[in-house]
Amino acid sequence: MMLNRLIQTNPTLSMTRASMRMWFRDRQAIFWTFFLPLVLISIFGLLDVGAFSSVDLGVVDKANNEASRKLVGDIQGLGAFDISDTGTEADERQALLEGDRNLVLIIEPGFDDSRSQADREVTVIYNQGRQQESQSGRTIIQQILDEMTFADAGVEVRYRVDAQPVDSRNLRFIDFLMPGVVAMSIMQMGLFSVAFSFVQLKSRGILRRLLATPVNPASFLFAQVITRLTVSVIQTLVLIGLAVIAFDVQLVGNLSAVLVLAVLGGGVFVSMGFAVSGWAGSEDVAAPIANIIALPMMFLSGVFFPRDAMPKSIQLVADHLPLSYLVDAIRSVAIDGESLWSQWPDVLGLTAWVVVTFLVALRLFRWE
Amino acid sequence: MTETTTSENHHGDIIQVNNLRKSYGDIVAVDGVSFSVATGEVFGILGPNGAGKTTTVEILEGMRSSDSGSALINGVDVQKHPQAVKEIIGIQLQSSSFFDRLNLVEILDVFASIYRRQIDAMEFLRQVQLADRAKALFKELSGGQKQRFSVATTLVNDPLVLFLDEPTTGLDPQARHHMWDLVKRFKDEGRTVLLTTHYMEEAEELCDRVAIMDHGKIAALDRPDTLVDALLAKGFERPRSERLATLEDVFLDLTGRALRDAGPETDGQ
Repeated sequence: MMLNRLIQTNPTLSMTRASMRMWFRDRQAIFWTFFLPLVLISIFGLLDVGAFSSVDLGVVDKANNEASRKLVGDIQGLGAFDISDTGTEADERQALLEGDRNLVLIIEPGFDDSRSQADREVTVIYNQGRQQESQSGRTIIQQILDEMTFADAGVEVRYRVDAQPVDSRNLRFIDFLMPGVVAMSIMQMGLFSVAFSFVQLKSRGILRRLLATPVNPASFLFAQVITRLTVSVIQTLVLIGLAVIAFDVQLVGNLSAVLVLAVLGGGVFVSMGFAVSGWAGSEDVAAPIANIIALPMMFLSGVFFPRDAMPKSIQLVADHLPLSYLVDAIRSVAIDGESLWSQWPDVLGLTAWVVVTFLVALRLFRWE
Repeated sequence: MTETTTSENHHGDIIQVNNLRKSYGDIVAVDGVSFSVATGEVFGILGPNGAGKTTTVEILEGMRSSDSGSALINGVDVQKHPQAVKEIIGIQLQSSSFFDRLNLVEILDVFASIYRRQIDAMEFLRQVQLADRAKALFKELSGGQKQRFSVATTLVNDPLVLFLDEPTTGLDPQARHHMWDLVKRFKDEGRTVLLTTHYMEEAEELCDRVAIMDHGKIAALDRPDTLVDALLAKGFERPRSERLATLEDVFLDLTGRALRDAGPETDGQ
């Protein structure tokens, strides 16, 4: 075959092919690179943590007459509540205490169309710990009661809010998390995959055997780097693909801009991997060093929660971590639909990190 | 006793080493070594550990620099053009490992590609009796198989000179004899072989000439027979008379000469 002949007589191509084969046959690498981030996205996608949930309202309709049914019907019609009205008052109070309800509406038996003022009162008991939800719930119920009052009194409502729905984007936690997980996976893959494989290549004498041939060390390194950068692109596509298809994450931005960022970020962490492999003589040393680099970034770079939540002094440092630049840039481009160009401070930060880590790698990396 | 004819540029000498020196700090590893190896010769370097034989060989292989002196392989200066020398030699390291997760054929292909050659990997595996393990991973091989595969990887560029560093250390007698047969075949093919060994019977069996090194210098260099004759001429007598057979002959008589490498060795890697 022509292609095979081309690869076979070109050391760089052939070593790239070999290194790709080795990478994709490494089950452990596949697990950490694809499976784990996919699980992470799936869990948070299914849990939908942090989404502004609708108000959980329990209804106890003891009156069960026309007026009470109208009230309950109007509340239901709004769609603002997650209504449960299966239980008795005792059940609902219990549910409220257990935090399963934000508020419980109790309609006493006397609630009907008789003109007695006292009869027209409903009771709302609410969860004090969920102020926001119960407050808005109470306001809505009061508003419906007001409208019923106006209707009864024959008063025409003259001031109305004309609410026009706009299909705006409601960012859920998964939308926030997905770019973070993509960036974090690129870091893990670049750093650990390079650090471990080179420490192994050295400690097992594989590099030494290679250096006994007229191989050009640069083309061997090139093959290794290209493999990792290719993986970082595939990884980005797979993770974004899952988030979009399975969890309805809206990829507003330009996908190729995200891939450019993936490659740039890959460059930083691959260089870090080379530096670690140069510094560490054995796998036992490489693992803790790589973890010391990766773990703080995982929590300080805004992968799982915004960096605004951190103390200012830590933020000052965290903002300049390479993973922070990568997370921010991917998030802005993929989710907020910003252009790659508009993210130039992050791109500049990443580029600076590529240069720095490359120079460090050049200094620390050893063939033997 | 060092050879004196090295400065003359013998036409048949494919390896020419002249006054090679290498120190590590205060330790002189190679202290003025000179010798030459004729094309097609099997040349052995013997010596106790720390004698400087590995350093000498590594300088010849272009894997290490020397402090002074020169080494030519096929007329090419190793110090100035290590890559060019590596093109025409094959190096079997004492203990080398190969890529994980690539099978034997794929590894041979990668090595051949470094020399921009397209090879029939199976043919190379057949030469070292590993054709039936073509799809195996290196780590799945037994000790003897690993050593044979390692030799196969040194052949992909059809080398003029083969460097074998302790090729039979740790092998059972069957595997050792098989390795000896391979070395004899390389000689028949017209290749030059430079090997190091700790086994004197191996040197006697294979080497046309041997250099015995100690303390970074060559203590003696000649044909094995000649060295033995010289010792006897000094009046040396072995305390016990030689028997007509050795324990190894008994061992091979009982266990046969066929290769024993059905499975991987548990103490491998």
